[in-house]
Amino acid sequence: MVDVLQTPSLWVVIGLIAYGIAYFVYSKWVDEKIWEVSAERTTPAHMYLDGVEFFPVSRWVLYGFQFKSIAALGPILGPFIGLTYGWLPALIWIILGNMFIGWVQDYSSIMITVRNEGRSMGPLVYQYVGERPRTILLGYLLFYLLIISAVFIYLISVFWNVFPGTFLATLVIFISAIIIGAMIYRWQVNIYAVTTLAIVLVILAVAVGAYVPYPKKDFLDPMLGPGGTLLFWSIVLAVFLFFASIAPMPTFITPMNFISAFPAIFGVIIIILGALLTPLTGITLKHPTVASSDVLLGFTGPGPIFPILFVSIACGAISGWHSLVSTSTTGKQLDSELDARPVGAGAMLTEGLLALASLAAFMVVAPETIAALKGSKPAAFVTGATLLTSYLGGEALAAFWKSFFALFLVIYAFTVQTLVTRYWRVFSGELFTGGLSILGNKYVATVIGLIIPIIFALSGSWINLWIYFGGSNQLLAGLALFLVAIVVAKFKRPPYYALLPAIFMTIVTLFALIWETYDYIRRVSAYFAVLAATGDPSEAVKKLFARPPMTNNPPAALTVNIIFIIVGIILVVLGFLMAYYLATSYLRARGEE
Amino acid sequence: MLKREKKEEKKKGGLSALKGLLYGMAVHGSVTAFLRTRMYMEHLFMLMTLGDMLGFPIIPPYYSLRLLPYAVPNIKSWKTRLFRERDFTDLLTQ
Repeated sequence: MVDVLQTPSLWVVIGLIAYGIAYFVYSKWVDEKIWEVSAERTTPAHMYLDGVEFFPVSRWVLYGFQFKSIAALGPILGPFIGLTYGWLPALIWIILGNMFIGWVQDYSSIMITVRNEGRSMGPLVYQYVGERPRTILLGYLLFYLLIISAVFIYLISVFWNVFPGTFLATLVIFISAIIIGAMIYRWQVNIYAVTTLAIVLVILAVAVGAYVPYPKKDFLDPMLGPGGTLLFWSIVLAVFLFFASIAPMPTFITPMNFISAFPAIFGVIIIILGALLTPLTGITLKHPTVASSDVLLGFTGPGPIFPILFVSIACGAISGWHSLVSTSTTGKQLDSELDARPVGAGAMLTEGLLALASLAAFMVVAPETIAALKGSKPAAFVTGATLLTSYLGGEALAAFWKSFFALFLVIYAFTVQTLVTRYWRVFSGELFTGGLSILGNKYVATVIGLIIPIIFALSGSWINLWIYFGGSNQLLAGLALFLVAIVVAKFKRPPYYALLPAIFMTIVTLFALIWETYDYIRRVSAYFAVLAATGDPSEAVKKLFARPPMTNNPPAALTVNIIFIIVGIILVVLGFLMAYYLATSYLRARGEE
Repeated sequence: MLKREKKEEKKKGGLSALKGLLYGMAVHGSVTAFLRTRMYMEHLFMLMTLGDMLGFPIIPPYYSLRLLPYAVPNIKSWKTRLFRERDFTDLLTQ
């Protein structure tokens, strides 16, 4: 038995206790004293019951739905970038972020919908802030969706490339999803039999991934040049996403969600158990507790700890995506106001647990091992998670678990990405009308929603793209918290529990977005400086955020870097405008008291 | 006896919570999506059968009248659904 302090178990236990306090003490206090919830008050699910959008659903069902809708790769891979600053700062942010900000946003977003006739985010912004901010929100979401898509498309392509066999495993899952979909909806086979079959097919997919490790990593690079394999996988993925987006939901998306729910839950449980059992399994912490001052101050690495840490660990501490889910669906189906806490706060704290599990998986991987994996975040996660689950079969089953965790990553990314691509399509249909209606066409919109993210994904540094994603996502969360503070102030209740996190998140994320934009500007300036000095574009392109195959075409790499500067400026300007409108609306709401 | 019943009830509650949790994670989103799809198909059906109520007859009135008794109970909820304003943030789960 090893020293408990040298294992992740103690820190996981501390995290669990902190989440327990957040749920049983803090959220209860907010629930009772700020919102004064009552079982007597009719919820929109009853008030506007239509059996389609508004209908009461059990708290357990909604909790499961909310968790599955909010959990993606943010809490799994974000901690790795946070780990750049050492595991302790990452752990502190995950725990404190969840305790004081994360659940506050999810729970309160549900409550503002419940108390405002089931309105979603857009109408709420319109009602409390104004028409122009609602339009700004629409524009902001457009960029937000493109950046999410870029991040997830890139990641899935990397997973398929880095872990040989994972594509075949995913293919088995895709085929299984189509079979399962037909069994449930066409042939109406007994659900228990279908569920058992789904689990067997998942095991089969993992076994295929483990024991048929083809195609090999970078197998097309000799033919297409560096980065060719990644481009190939991105296009393959885009084809799958295209059909998933335009096909009727029961054909592919819904059975895919059904089949992937089982490994997604199982994976989290076995990692957490593995982390708790580390004093017995002898797996110890291998990562530095805190990084050097150079890294903390941003002289090397992704940037200074403030603000980068707070946007890199995105969904594991707080995420704007959650407010969209909470207001668009969950808030409309709440059976009783008393359910808002277990559903909103409960699901968010469970996602915090997922972030904690991921951090534990990274903590046990030594920096030398990460260097040997060429700094690959997904590879580091899979290595750490396989190590933590060595209590399940040891070396004999290591290949199986490695394949399982690689597939686990693909599943989390793919299920969210299908929804995002579909949402982009529906969103474009609503947005582009009149002379631009061709852009709203089902096929055109889907193709645009895939090509732009692929160009983004293959162009620059992954970490910078992730920070853009985290920054825009966290900023949306800050704005949602501002909206909550306005609604609470209108109800003449103390809004500080939401206002302070709103101010913190808005400032920190705007700083992060400014930092990233500045980073791109710096790179582009360096490009022109080198070009002026040497006259050699292939030398100057090294200064840009670019990787093969983009580095072979310096003008294209430069264009994409400039596009990223423009995207960054747009996000910052829209963020500032939204923050301004929300802050003035808040002050107006306070003035009305 | 009472104790045993209580225990069984608790066990049953735990089991239904677990069932609900799994249902919520695996199926609830799909069910909501199906209900929306059905809603849009119903909109189409009602417009085709009772279109002359709105001034555009699509099928001959004879068939509309034959279908009317079946459509009447749904008219009120259909109107509520059809006329509800939907924002772009309401489209998230479609």
